[in-house]
Amino acid sequence: MPASADEVVLTGIGLVSAAGEGYPALAQALREGRCCTRAVAGPLPVRQVAAAPPVDEDPDFPDDRKAWLAFRALELALADAGLPARDPDRRLAVFLGTGLSSVTPGELHEDAYPFITEGRFDAGRMGSDLSRDRASPRRHLPGRVSEELARRVDATGPVATSFSACAASAQAIAEGLWTLRRGDADVALVGGHDSMLHPLGLLSFIVLGALSPDTCRPFDRHRDGFVIGEAACLLVLERAEHARARGARVRARLLGAGTSVDAWNATAPHPEGAGAERAMAAALRDAGVSPAEVDYVNAHATGTPVGDLAEARAAARLFGEAVPMSSIKGAVGHTIAAAGAIEAAACVAALEGGFLPGTAGLRELDPDCPVPVLQQPLNRAPRVVLSNSFGFGGQNASLVLARA
Amino acid sequence: MPEPRPVCIAGIGLLCPAGIGEEGARDGRPGVVPGFRPAAFIADRKQLKLMSRAVQLGVAAARLALAGGGEELLAAVPPHRRGIFVGASPQVGEAEDLRAALQAGTGPDGAFDLRLFAEEGSRLIHPLWLVKGLSNNVLGFASAIHDLQGVNASWCDAEAGGWTALREGAFAIAEGRADLVLAGASDCLVGAELLLGGRPAGEGAAFFLLLPGEGELPFHPDPAPDLDPEESSLGVLGAATWPVVLARTLLAGA
Repeated sequence: MPASADEVVLTGIGLVSAAGEGYPALAQALREGRCCTRAVAGPLPVRQVAAAPPVDEDPDFPDDRKAWLAFRALELALADAGLPARDPDRRLAVFLGTGLSSVTPGELHEDAYPFITEGRFDAGRMGSDLSRDRASPRRHLPGRVSEELARRVDATGPVATSFSACAASAQAIAEGLWTLRRGDADVALVGGHDSMLHPLGLLSFIVLGALSPDTCRPFDRHRDGFVIGEAACLLVLERAEHARARGARVRARLLGAGTSVDAWNATAPHPEGAGAERAMAAALRDAGVSPAEVDYVNAHATGTPVGDLAEARAAARLFGEAVPMSSIKGAVGHTIAAAGAIEAAACVAALEGGFLPGTAGLRELDPDCPVPVLQQPLNRAPRVVLSNSFGFGGQNASLVLARA
Repeated sequence: MPEPRPVCIAGIGLLCPAGIGEEGARDGRPGVVPGFRPAAFIADRKQLKLMSRAVQLGVAAARLALAGGGEELLAAVPPHRRGIFVGASPQVGEAEDLRAALQAGTGPDGAFDLRLFAEEGSRLIHPLWLVKGLSNNVLGFASAIHDLQGVNASWCDAEAGGWTALREGAFAIAEGRADLVLAGASDCLVGAELLLGGRPAGEGAAFFLLLPGEGELPFHPDPAPDLDPEESSLGVLGAATWPVVLARTLLAGA
C-alpha cells in the first residue's frame, strides 16, 4: 500500500529503564511479566525503587543522571533506526519531555542553608551569591538536554522541551507527530527522560503521599501509591515516505494523538476521568480509528486510589467494558516525564511481539474497576493499541499506535 | 492534510516591568511589574497561596487576554475545543518552604545530616513543595479558571519556550484541533542576575487569545515575526521574552 503523505511511522527505539538497557530488555521483561523494581534501604522511608542500570557519566553534565540516561538512549535509538548521527540532507526535529532537575543534599545545604538568618530565608542574598559557574544552577537550566541532543544530531527542524509532569513525553510524541504531518521535518526524535532517585526527589513524593510504602499495585483493591522509577526513552518517528525511501525497518505506525486538560483542579485529578476520556477520544479522532478497533489500552494507572479507577471508568465509557487494559508501572516504576515514551515503547513491543502486557503487582482487582485488567501477559496479537499518560496539573495525552 | 485555517489574535494580556495592559507598551526598566497585585486577578486566596510569582503573573495575563470581549468569545466555544499553550520555566520549589526542614536537618556540628533531614525535616516540608515548582502550573491553574479542556502543551526552553507556545497554539487552530486557544508565557527572573551572567533581569507575562479567521490582527506562526528580543530594555524575561515583545509591539501599534 503506498504511504499517505501524512503517515508517520516509528523506526527506532532507544531506552534505558529498570528492565535494563535497550528496547529488547523491556520487551522481554513485559513478555515474562517480570517486576523490575528492587529493594533499597536508607534514611528515607522508601523500600522499593525502579532504578535503571549504570550509564556513562558526561563531564559536561555533572551529577545529572537524567541527562546521561537521555544521551545513552539517543545512541541506542539511532542505532536501532539505522540512522547516522549526522546527515546534512536530513530535516530532523527534537521534542523531549523532561522533569525537575536533581538536587543533592549537599548542594541544598550549600546553596540554601547559608541564607537562613534569624529564622528567615533570604532569597535575594542567595540570588546574589549563586553563580552560573556552579554546577547545580546550571543543571536547572530548562531545555539544555534537548539542546544537547539537537546538537549531537544536527537538528535543523523545531526543537522543544515539554514540561507537563507525567504527560511530558507523550505530549512530546504528539508534537513530533503533528510536526511530521505538517511537513516541518522528515524525522523527529521524540520521547522523555527523568530520574527522581535522589534524596530530595524521593522526599518530594513522600511528603506528597504518592509513594507506596512497599510496592506498586495498579488497579488492586489495596493499591496505595507508586514506586518511583527512572528512565530515558527516545523514539525515532519518520514520515513514512522518508522511511521507505531509505529502506528503514518500520516497527509500528503512529496513527494519532490527542491531548486534553482536566480544567478541574490544578492539584487534583478529575474523579471520573473526564479529561482522560477527552484525550482518548481526541486521539482516536486524530487517528481516524473507532473505539471498537482498539485491541488494548496501556493505562497510565500509577497505583493511586483515585487515579486508577477514574481512568478505568473513562476507558469503560469510551470503549465499553470489554477492552483489555494493563499498566506497566508495577514492572518498571513510575518514570514521571519518561513514562509516556516508555509506555509507547511497551505498546510497540506488544504490537511486534503479539502479546498484551500484564500488570505486575496486581493481586486482587478492585471490585469497582469496570474493565478487565490483565494481571499476566496474554498471548493475543493486537493490531491497534492506545497508550495513556496523565500529568499533575491535569494535562492528559493519549497515543494510538498500530502494527507496521 | 486539509488546508490550514487562518489564525488571528483577538485579545492580548500583558504584564511587564513597564506596566500592565496597554501601559506595558511604554518604555520601562528591568525589574518587577509595577503595581501588580495578584489578588486583583486571582480571587481564591487558597489557590493564590499555591502559586509561585511566575504562575500568578501568567494567570493574570491569561485573564487580561480575555478581558474586553474575550469572555463572550470563550462562551461561544465548547470547552473541549478551547486549547492552552504555555511557555514557562521550571523552579525547584519555593526555597522558603524548605527553611524549617533544612534547619531541622542540620546536626549540632552545623553539618547537613540526611537522616535528620529525613526523620525530622520531612515533616516540616509543605506537601506541595515539589509540585509548586512545576512549570506547567500556569497551564493547570489558567485552564481550571477558564475551563479550557482541549489541546494543550507546556514548554520550558528558556527564551524559546514562549515562542514555541505561540507557534504550537496557532497550529492547533490552523490544523483544526481547537477553535480557541490561549497561548503565552510567564517568567520571573528578578534576583537571578548573577545566574544570568550579570545581565539585568525582569519578570513578566503575555498571553494571546487566538481564534480562527482573518481578523484585524492576523497571526502567522511561520516564519517567526521579525522581533528583537533584546529591544525591550526590560531585562531578561526568560520564557516570557517573545510573547512580551510581541504584545508590546502590537499594543504600541494599536
